[in-house]
Amino acid sequence: MKAPLLSVDNIGRRFGAFVALEGITASFEPNKVTAIIGPNGAGKSTFFNLLSGVLAPSAGAIRFKGRDITGTPQHRFAHLGIARSYQITNIFPELSVHENVRVAAQAFRSRYDIWRDRTGMTELDDKADAALAAVGLTGKRGETAKFLAHGQQRALEIAIALVAAPELLLLDEPTAGMGPEETKEMVALLERLAAERTILLVEHKMKMILGLSDRILVLHHGRLIADGSPQHIQADPEVRRVYLGQSDGYA
Amino acid sequence: MSASTSSIAAGMPGQAGQRGWRARLVAWRVPLSILALCLLPWLLPSKALAVNVLVYGLVAVGYNLLFGYTGLLSFGHAAFFGAGAYATGIAIGQFGVPWFAAVLLGIAVGGALAFVIGLLSIRTRGIYFSMVTLALSQLVYYTALQASSWTGGENGLRGFTVAKLDIFGWSIDFLDPVKKYYVLMVFAAAALWLVSRILNSPFGAVIEAIRENETRARACGYDVERSKLISFTLSGLICALAGTLSALHLAIVPLDILHYQTSGMIVMMTLLGGAGSFFGPFVGALAFLLMEDVVSLWTSHWQIVVGTVFILFVLFLPKGVWGTLLAWRAGR
Amino acid sequence: MDAELIAMQLFSGVALGAILIMVALGLSIIFGMLGVVNFAHGALFMVGAYAGLWVASLTGSFWWGLLIAPLAIGAFGMLIERVLIRPLYKRSVDDPLLLTFGLGYVLVEAVRIVFGSDGIPFSTPPELAGVADLGIGFFPIYRLFVVGVVAIILLLLWLGLEKTKFGLIVRAGAKDPQIMRVLGIDIAKVWLLVFGLGIGLTALGGVLAAPMRNVNPEMGSLVLAEAFVVTVIGGMGSLVGAVVAGLLVGVAISMTALFAPEMATIVMFALMALVLLVRPQGLFGKPGRA
Repeated sequence: MKAPLLSVDNIGRRFGAFVALEGITASFEPNKVTAIIGPNGAGKSTFFNLLSGVLAPSAGAIRFKGRDITGTPQHRFAHLGIARSYQITNIFPELSVHENVRVAAQAFRSRYDIWRDRTGMTELDDKADAALAAVGLTGKRGETAKFLAHGQQRALEIAIALVAAPELLLLDEPTAGMGPEETKEMVALLERLAAERTILLVEHKMKMILGLSDRILVLHHGRLIADGSPQHIQADPEVRRVYLGQSDGYA
Repeated sequence: MSASTSSIAAGMPGQAGQRGWRARLVAWRVPLSILALCLLPWLLPSKALAVNVLVYGLVAVGYNLLFGYTGLLSFGHAAFFGAGAYATGIAIGQFGVPWFAAVLLGIAVGGALAFVIGLLSIRTRGIYFSMVTLALSQLVYYTALQASSWTGGENGLRGFTVAKLDIFGWSIDFLDPVKKYYVLMVFAAAALWLVSRILNSPFGAVIEAIRENETRARACGYDVERSKLISFTLSGLICALAGTLSALHLAIVPLDILHYQTSGMIVMMTLLGGAGSFFGPFVGALAFLLMEDVVSLWTSHWQIVVGTVFILFVLFLPKGVWGTLLAWRAGR
Repeated sequence: MDAELIAMQLFSGVALGAILIMVALGLSIIFGMLGVVNFAHGALFMVGAYAGLWVASLTGSFWWGLLIAPLAIGAFGMLIERVLIRPLYKRSVDDPLLLTFGLGYVLVEAVRIVFGSDGIPFSTPPELAGVADLGIGFFPIYRLFVVGVVAIILLLLWLGLEKTKFGLIVRAGAKDPQIMRVLGIDIAKVWLLVFGLGIGLTALGGVLAAPMRNVNPEMGSLVLAEAFVVTVIGGMGSLVGAVVAGLLVGVAISMTALFAPEMATIVMFALMALVLLVRPQGLFGKPGRA
């Protein structure tokens, strides 16, 4: 077995008396796609927020590339090599599509410099264009982001994450709110991305997850109840018990 | 701030679909503003009004860096404006410091105060931030009121009239309003250049990103709090410079310069002109002071007119005069 | 320094705090429900004081002023919500803030036009003049009355929030506005009433404060800053926080006035700065909201 890229050791998160997540232990190998599933309120978003530094765990430790990163401020995560997308589209609405991605790339070059010209940093323009090409948005380069269609905004968000050249990509419901056609395009995009990086994704669309993932984790009431290959998960009696009959389950 | 579109802040450089005229306007914005400032005293009814537009336009420009470009609605910028004015006045009047050193001192004191207030207020977000900056600036106001042996308390600071400026052996008659205007304009021009520099820089892109979507900017790898603090301090430095210019101009510092009503006036000017646009704040200061000038001819209650106009702008023209003009031109 | 003096000063802090509670509660209720910080709150406090003064001088009785002014200004508050603030709900949170600041500016000037720029003395109603000997010291009867009125209002508010259907809606709505939509409640009507209630409370604070202070057009500007300090210390949107912080600030001001008078206007800001450093969401605020 390869050394894990990411491992979490017994992590949990409480909000006052409410336990959102408890005792999660798992490690993730490089270049695999892992899906996190579970009914609404199972703790999927909390899990993602812990992995991307939005929240600090109230218990346990997170290790990335062998280093303990528990409690690292959120803005450091991008520099470690972890990038994410959000469940609700999270872009820079008034900026152009290109500028959305360019400013994300700039975080690795220049953050506080006031003496240079931003337009002179042409290598950032190239990086941004490459990321836009990867998600198929080259043609929309000059448009204001808020005027894009929903599916294109989701793709833009992935381009923003991609331009950081992350080793670990966390995608929170990348197809949320998409119709069948847009979903299909997104799945194709994710398949291309999966070839060369580690992806964790939260999703509800089971068909898509079964086709895309190497491994599935199932959360329920803040606990990890199953962890294994898609076939294994489909056969798991406990998963079937909590999941079947849930309207948002096998959509 | 959430990802929701702020209707106030719109119309920024580096925007989508930038047309030729707009790119040229951005490239030439500093020389153009300096040209406009050079002509200003000859276009306005009085030289005193021109100096006022210069001083308040500069405060609004400094404020706009924070409000229009970083998306932070501070209600405490009177503190930095006032601190610059008081520090300059005290340095000249009580310590006999040469005028140029006093200007530098005023900027330094105002900037340091902005750093401290920024450090505290940036711990809060959204609407809270506005309340905290207002309250902290009132702390400065009441401190100045109490420390009357330094500041003159309620009567304001007096006794530091600068009649002549010595610059490299030249002596300029500072009581001549035209000469005074152009001396002060040199400082304002330098500040405008600095603001334009910041907006063109990579840091300028960072603060715009923070205004647009703080959460996203943080996820992209930007230390949002630190960037906000830098923007807050830079903005405070420019307001402090405007304060020192105001002190040199008036030769008194009224206590009210520190009151949050002054902060509110700065906010109003910035919004009237157009927050988040380079020329907007000066246009706003000009519009505000012209309104004051004209309305006070027939009533001393000019504030009721200005306040009503401001309310109408928030309701119907939130992009301000200049911002609306830009949007209208871009829409054609 | 003898104990009697300290007790009297402590009490005068409580009376000051009681007024602050009225103002801060209104601010907090409006914010909690509507997400709007009302920058005209201080101006409406001042308008409340003038309205009380005017009604009292028309009727010759303080009591009519105390009753009618808060109701009338509360109704005026509803008009403000309906005409000026409602169009802004879908916009940035900064817009209502800017608008109410402009409104405060206009209100102050309007009062100057109608009542003049100079302060007007408002004498304590004769029934409430004088001092009472409570065994531990002499206390001005009017201040006892103010504390009593505020205590009654707090009790009524508490009952209203805990025991009535409207209170239930308000509490649920403050936690999660979505719930009201799901339940099919007319949010617009609830917001209108809540805004009116918040303004009515600050106007009542204004009438109650009038005999203790000089009534002048600028009296609202200090109160606004004080109310912000109280809200920041107590925690935005927390009603308990507003009450505790209001008393805390009132007592802190009056005790400092006793021991170090020159620091009295500064102490509350120092308190606020301390709270911001230690607990940015305020004493009773929920983290994340700050």
